Amino acid sequence: MNNLTPSKNGRELLLCALRCQPVERTPWVPFVGVHGGALIGVDATAHLQSADHIFRGLREAAKRYRPDGLPVAFDLQLEAEVLGCALAWAKETPPSVASHPLGADYATQKLPTFSVDQGRIPFVLEATRRAKAAFGEEIALYGVITGPLTLALHLRGDDLLLDMFEETDEVPELLAYCTEIARQMAEAYLEAGADVIAVVDPMVSQIGPHHFEEFVAPCLNRIFDHVRDCGGLSSLFVCGNATRNLEAMCATQCDNISIDENVNLADLARVAQAHGKSFGGNLKLTVVLLLGDEDDTRRDVVRALDQAGTAPGFVLAPGCDLPYAVKTANLETVAALVHDPYQVEVARRLPAKDLDDDFADIAIPEYGAEKSVIVDVVTLDSAGCAPCAYIYSAAMEAARAFEGPVSVHERKITGREGLAYMKKLGVSAIPSICVDGQERFASIIPDRRELIQALSDAATAKGTGRASP
Amino acid sequence: MNQNLTLLQSAIEAGKRKDAVALTRSLLDEGMAPLDVVEQALVPGMSVIGEKFKRNEVFVPEMLIAARAMKECMVLLEPLLVAAGVKPKHTAVIGTVQGDLHDIGKNLVAMMLKGANFAVHDLGTNVPTEKFVEAAREHGAELVCLSALLTTTMPAMREAVGVIRAAALPKVKILVGGAPITQEFCNEIGADGYSPDAASAVDKAKEVLSA
Repeated sequence: MNNLTPSKNGRELLLCALRCQPVERTPWVPFVGVHGGALIGVDATAHLQSADHIFRGLREAAKRYRPDGLPVAFDLQLEAEVLGCALAWAKETPPSVASHPLGADYATQKLPTFSVDQGRIPFVLEATRRAKAAFGEEIALYGVITGPLTLALHLRGDDLLLDMFEETDEVPELLAYCTEIARQMAEAYLEAGADVIAVVDPMVSQIGPHHFEEFVAPCLNRIFDHVRDCGGLSSLFVCGNATRNLEAMCATQCDNISIDENVNLADLARVAQAHGKSFGGNLKLTVVLLLGDEDDTRRDVVRALDQAGTAPGFVLAPGCDLPYAVKTANLETVAALVHDPYQVEVARRLPAKDLDDDFADIAIPEYGAEKSVIVDVVTLDSAGCAPCAYIYSAAMEAARAFEGPVSVHERKITGREGLAYMKKLGVSAIPSICVDGQERFASIIPDRRELIQALSDAATAKGTGRASP
Repeated sequence: MNQNLTLLQSAIEAGKRKDAVALTRSLLDEGMAPLDVVEQALVPGMSVIGEKFKRNEVFVPEMLIAARAMKECMVLLEPLLVAAGVKPKHTAVIGTVQGDLHDIGKNLVAMMLKGANFAVHDLGTNVPTEKFVEAAREHGAELVCLSALLTTTMPAMREAVGVIRAAALPKVKILVGGAPITQEFCNEIGADGYSPDAASAVDKAKEVLSA
């Protein structure tokens, strides 16, 4: 890729991508919310009520998932709680709003006076400051704030949507009130060290472009302008199917748009690029990251990268906050792919999940019946992939040094035969060395002595030859 | 066709509740059977708005005001339907899964099902899994509709499907929906049907019940 912006670390790389500048690899932002609690062994209720828990969850996520950015806390009830909404707490989800203080009228003057010193907001800001000090130079921090439409719905309830049809000033006035709160939150986060303000407004997925443009976009623009004036970057997160609003969302003043799996990422890429905006998404949160396995994750990363295309400005992320019990191995797999382009190439060769092919027509040796020890080196292709070349060469050298009958075969997964070996031998990673049908060295180039010992053990097992390590 | 029926259908589509209630009253005063008012004006009105919703021509707020108008008409009509011995064709239990307090989508689906002559028992939001089983058993429901708005409560939907399946309710079909839900997720958790929006829920409900 040409004209790359030199980046010192993940944070710099992400901030460049958010500004639509070319970067050398795709930045990755796992939206660790209550999952941070799972990482440190506390439930969601305890996690979101302690600066220390939030910080420790972030630190653990930073260590395990090697992200370029992290949201400090993913809790769209922080502001609503201060304003008098009752919350229902749960062990594995963020709290939910259980009452609407403006359910009967629009008397915002009767609500408690809002400040960022109230409720749980100080915990989140303290966690931001601690994260900034601990790793904030390497990893960008996102301050997550509740979007004005979602906050207005928390306060008023669903009637807000009906009231949009009444020709009164009440809805715009309530949205303006929520906008002012968002501006205060954004400012506080930026002062505490956040780099990016994510305005999360999932209820935008429930309205049409006309209502979005009339009621919501002007409010969002006031927030985005303020973030820019304060020196931060801004992102608009909309969970849910926001396809119909993509044009209108991209026409706002934010730097970045982030969506979830309900939106086709290729559609967003096209619209965002036309508006000069960076964009992010949309790893599948539940079907893949929560319920799937590492191969499902690999396929989904490739799917997202391909849909995003090669133009600058893409940020790989789940579309919404990660479930509490999301599989850590899956997120570690995303990290592995992000940091190693070779892993992406391997992932591209994975057979489709629903591939109903047992490769019955491709026979593999009856290893026990063979006189020689058989080494199958399962690779992407040693001609074009450095780790494959090293591991293949290591196997060949060990075979030469081993004074017994041995044959080494490269099985390239670029072809169906290689895929048959991969499946039948139960190969867990590429490249991998299997000795007499057993995977012995997965994605690691073994020490020569170790490999020769493995050949020797196999020869002894079948009673042919002796080792001379 | 009676002009007031046409006007009532238009009032439902536009969500003009005061007009809709006045027209319903006029039609009843004219001697029209309550079931005819429902079937010839309210159901077609909701059906039109539902089709527009599917085509992305209207959105949740427009559906809500139409549903509100219909609901206010049903306040007049329901006692008359009961008195006339009109019985719903199917029975459904609906609720938002445990941990999730969102109800817009769930309310819309409930309203659309009612409009399609289903008896609907709405369990509300944050419904413990066992309540779905109890309610389905109590009301002899053939359909359980599960809603979730949060990705974080999708596991609760999976759990609910498992518990309903484990209960001895062989004729019960399960329909799932909500902003983060996908057909893929529906397949994964073993539900019988997924509806991407409230408007499609009626068709999907009928489809799974006839399967």
